[in-house]
Amino acid sequence: MIPDYRPRVPILEVRDLAIAYETRQGDVPAVRGVSFDIRRGETLGIVGESGCGKSTIAFGVVNFLGQNGKIVSGNIMFQGQDLVGRPEGDLRKIRGDRIAMVYQDPMQALNPSMRLGDQMSEVLIVHRGMSKKAAEAKCIQMLERVYMPDPANVMRRYPHQISGGQQQRVVIAMALLNDPALLIMDEPTTALDVTVEAAVLDLIADLQRDFETAIMYISHNLGVIARVADRVAVMYAGAMVERASVSDIFLRPYHPYTQGLMRCVPRLGQNKTDSYLYPIPGKVPSPKTLPTGCIFEPRCAFARPDCAVTRPPLREVKPGHWARCLFAEEIAQQEWRPPADFVPPSGEPDADQRDKKPILRVEHAKTFYTAPSKRLFGRRQYVKAVDDVSVAVKSGRTLGIVGESGCGKSTLVKTIVGLETPTGGAFEFMGIDIAVPVARRDLQVIKNLQMVFQNPDSTLNPSFSVGTQIGRSLRRFNVVPPQQVRAEVIRLLDMMKLGERYYDRLPRQLSGGEKQRVGIARAIAGRPELVLCDEPVSALDVSVQAAVLNLLLDIQRQMGTTLVFIAHDLSVVRFFCDTIAVMYLGQVVEIGTAEAIYAPPYHPYTEALLSAVPIPDPRVEQSHVRLSGSVPSALNPPSGCRFHTRCPHKLGEICETQTPPWQIAETGQRIFCHIPIAELSKMNSVITMKETSNAR
Amino acid sequence: MAVIEQGVQAITRPSRWHRAWRGLATLFASKTAVIGLIIVLFWILAPILAPLLTPYSPTAQDYKAQNAAPSAAHILGTDDLGRDIWSRLLYGARVVLVILPIGEHFWLPLGTAIWGVLLGLIIGATLGLMGGYLGGWIDEVVMRLLDAMMAFPVILLYMIIIAAVGASATNVVLAIAIVGTPGIARLVRSLTLDIRTRDYIRAAELRGESAFHIMFVEILPNARGPIIIDAMLRVGYAIFAMGTLGFLGLGLPPPSPDWGSMVASGRRYILSGSPWAALWPALAIATLVVGLNLLADGLREESLRYQ
Amino acid sequence: MLVRDYMTRHPLLADPNMPAVEAQRYMVEANVRRLPVVGDGKRLLGLVTRQTLMVDPSKMGSLNVWEIASYLSGLTVKDVMIKAKDVITARPDMTIEEAARIMVEKKIGCLPVVEDDVVIGIITETDLLAQLTSMMDLRCSGVRATVRMPANLVGGLARLVDAIAAQGWGINALGGSVFPKDPTKWDAVIKIEGVTKAEMIAVLKQIKDEEIIDVREI
Repeated sequence: MIPDYRPRVPILEVRDLAIAYETRQGDVPAVRGVSFDIRRGETLGIVGESGCGKSTIAFGVVNFLGQNGKIVSGNIMFQGQDLVGRPEGDLRKIRGDRIAMVYQDPMQALNPSMRLGDQMSEVLIVHRGMSKKAAEAKCIQMLERVYMPDPANVMRRYPHQISGGQQQRVVIAMALLNDPALLIMDEPTTALDVTVEAAVLDLIADLQRDFETAIMYISHNLGVIARVADRVAVMYAGAMVERASVSDIFLRPYHPYTQGLMRCVPRLGQNKTDSYLYPIPGKVPSPKTLPTGCIFEPRCAFARPDCAVTRPPLREVKPGHWARCLFAEEIAQQEWRPPADFVPPSGEPDADQRDKKPILRVEHAKTFYTAPSKRLFGRRQYVKAVDDVSVAVKSGRTLGIVGESGCGKSTLVKTIVGLETPTGGAFEFMGIDIAVPVARRDLQVIKNLQMVFQNPDSTLNPSFSVGTQIGRSLRRFNVVPPQQVRAEVIRLLDMMKLGERYYDRLPRQLSGGEKQRVGIARAIAGRPELVLCDEPVSALDVSVQAAVLNLLLDIQRQMGTTLVFIAHDLSVVRFFCDTIAVMYLGQVVEIGTAEAIYAPPYHPYTEALLSAVPIPDPRVEQSHVRLSGSVPSALNPPSGCRFHTRCPHKLGEICETQTPPWQIAETGQRIFCHIPIAELSKMNSVITMKETSNAR
Repeated sequence: MAVIEQGVQAITRPSRWHRAWRGLATLFASKTAVIGLIIVLFWILAPILAPLLTPYSPTAQDYKAQNAAPSAAHILGTDDLGRDIWSRLLYGARVVLVILPIGEHFWLPLGTAIWGVLLGLIIGATLGLMGGYLGGWIDEVVMRLLDAMMAFPVILLYMIIIAAVGASATNVVLAIAIVGTPGIARLVRSLTLDIRTRDYIRAAELRGESAFHIMFVEILPNARGPIIIDAMLRVGYAIFAMGTLGFLGLGLPPPSPDWGSMVASGRRYILSGSPWAALWPALAIATLVVGLNLLADGLREESLRYQ
Repeated sequence: MLVRDYMTRHPLLADPNMPAVEAQRYMVEANVRRLPVVGDGKRLLGLVTRQTLMVDPSKMGSLNVWEIASYLSGLTVKDVMIKAKDVITARPDMTIEEAARIMVEKKIGCLPVVEDDVVIGIITETDLLAQLTSMMDLRCSGVRATVRMPANLVGGLARLVDAIAAQGWGINALGGSVFPKDPTKWDAVIKIEGVTKAEMIAVLKQIKDEEIIDVREI
């Protein structure tokens, strides 16, 4: 091999960077002693949970720290020149020409009142002095490069007229117009659907190959990092705790925090036992009260007396692999055992379950919204959010509903719970008809059908304490006599592993995971028969997700509650749902047991979903099925099979004209498709382990 | 995204005094708020301590010292009937911020302006909550009604109301309330529209809570920040309105020392070399309104600073 | 094989207002010999090399030590650079042999690659040399043979390739050029893996009018 003779200067080299924020109570250190480098054509993934400082590093590099942020010490060497302490004029030039940043929300980069073509050309006209025509031609070229369909048309549109995935493509195209040496991406795909995300990640890899840009990719999603990064840096509470190549980080991590993270990430393993999640005990320390020794020591399963005293430096434990741990080498050899109080979820169906009647039955449910009509007269149009959905769940079991945005899962759940009025269909809960809004339901029915919400920040009323809010549920449903309410609240808090000291706290004093637990406590206060969980963990950090999911299972085991769990990707529901339904555009396309869904035969949409989910394991080989186009509007869904506009296995005209039949596979799942089961069974499994031998 | 854990600091919720102190600390952190506070406190405390601060009665007339300039005897001078301006200001301030006289013998603490704004808050908040939360035709009706009221120029509205019901402190309270209701209702409605989308409101609906409970117990406490700041500004507007009414002769009947009517009666003597009777009350109104504005501004600035 | 595929993207660049001393230090630390000087939007304004930074002593003949120091410290890159119009550049859609020709003719070691006035990369002689080794597939082992034939022999190369193909062998690298010492002759170089020297010689001997010059195992 020709040795790399290119210039050795990395595009970005950060040395011992420390950033702090000024607050009323003094300076809070957000980032301490961070060092890393990125070379041209390489992607460095910076991964960590919220508050670890990863976005702060990015803002520090581009000097967008805001009024109260400042770089305390360290160097940021961009192509050999230090950016710290440079005058604003120089920095602006470097930022404009050579560093670009892409954010999570494309609307932060796009001006909603300008046409896309004008915005993109502006970059070229202002920075390069190109003429308008030349700039537009170059922009169209760039849009083609990012695989935007019909670029000339897109140039004339406004940002709100294109989908989220397309907006993000435009933002990426704009970022690359000036051919930057460094591209910083801060969670660019977090807000996108899984299938759209997969396409955008493919695009980023493609573009990097051609433009040889150095990419700093920030994310909390380990699966995405496994897919895009060459090397990975792990951040914890403002410090970098490990840095190594992507396969080393995922397969041979040295630092206990990284090891802990790997254990709580849902992986699409081959069987259920592989899919248990083990949460990391304890919580992230606040930057104002960091431990004196190793910052991870209070939560570390391998902690020794020395760890609480000395702060370990980041050292090279093997070539190319740095870890911030005094005993990293010994830990890597040790066996990790789950803590004594961890009880793995069982989830085996009992024999007597089979004959039981379902506690919730939904048949041919329809919920249509009237669309605001664009014309004064003429027929009303309906958004067919839920169109002929039938599901059932037995008492004590768990039903998972999976689908991307627009599939109708939230609407279905809101209809079941009474926040929306159904347009048609039968809804039966505990033998009672619940096809009425919640205001007209009997209190007993309300008490037994509760919900846990997605966003922990808005699930609790900010003005009342935790105890008051949980107590309100208890009082309303008369669960216990008034004098015992406080005791019962404390019992619930203990069940949530929070404890009595949370009774008087206000929501703003709690972390996301704690707020979600209080939300769960509030929902189960009345001892409901059925709890609907609307993506309860998607807004939480990875290590907290594991804890909350395990908690829900615990509750189910203790109280026999039935759970309906909504998620947007298939990896989260793997290990604790008994039955899973996959929804697309208002209909269920596949429904079956958890075992059956993940193996062939698949509905083509399920296959695409499974191949899009980023898996945090570099050994896994995943099919590369990508869907073209975007989700059609629910105002006017495609005729026949609704998936035919994007289906990679489309048979032909039959898919466009006739509604597909329900086919039953050997393993018991039902698939809504024209393709015969025999054909579908011949599909390759989407996820397989790579062969590890080196034979050619 | 989750917030960094605070650690085991406060075992229980901080006590009321602690929270009050923290609130005050916010106030003191802003220089504008402090200046505003000083001015407002002056105009609350001085009227209360009026007997200590001036030997004159506000209605005592002295024919020998009409329209006198400020001197050692009369700090701010006298008006056309020889009444000491300083004491008239102090006693006049009582009605504004300190005392609400009801009928001949009753009075309530907190002055006319404050009661007016409070009453406006109650009515306006209710209307805003109903419109924002219940939506539909209730929202339309309420909003159109309020639009109609806002279409009147404010002073005209005041004049119509006072002319209809007569001039007394309680009627002024009513007038202030009616005039302030549309603005407050709109503010509360927009806050409600935003808060209504939160999940904890859904959770309350899922508990089968009544609309009344949701509006007043779940939504209203979370809107208090902007409402309080707006109310402070409205007290300023109310004082200004009272001054104008007094100037137009629709304020409290003489001889009660209404600032506005002081300006009205002193107006004639400005050009003849005795501006004092008009100047001091006008300045008093101005300083009080400015003080309230500064206080509101400073608070708003501080509460937004570390967002 | 275009310049666009072989150049180094995102080269180190200098700002025209950068002090000359700092530019010098930058070049030394980064171990580069040339720095394009760019303005807004990375438009090429000029070029500095290690040589342009060497100040001509005759210009400073009468200045004393202190004046020299202050003169030097006040020098910025735009004072000493070669102006854009005098800088020899390459275009990304040029072939690499075209770029090589320019380098040979003008005796310069590297060329900034410019598109629409904007610097998008830099190509150096080392890049081209690296390409040469790749063209001759240095990395893998096999037998390398040089065959000489008359320069005007039409179909000579095809004959050689046919002979190889007839054996069912695959060709790893193939190239050729005029023999420098005798312009009437043309040398073809061919590299094949998985064969022995003897086998190769046996096949090559069969070809008419072509002389085996060198066969070696690499």
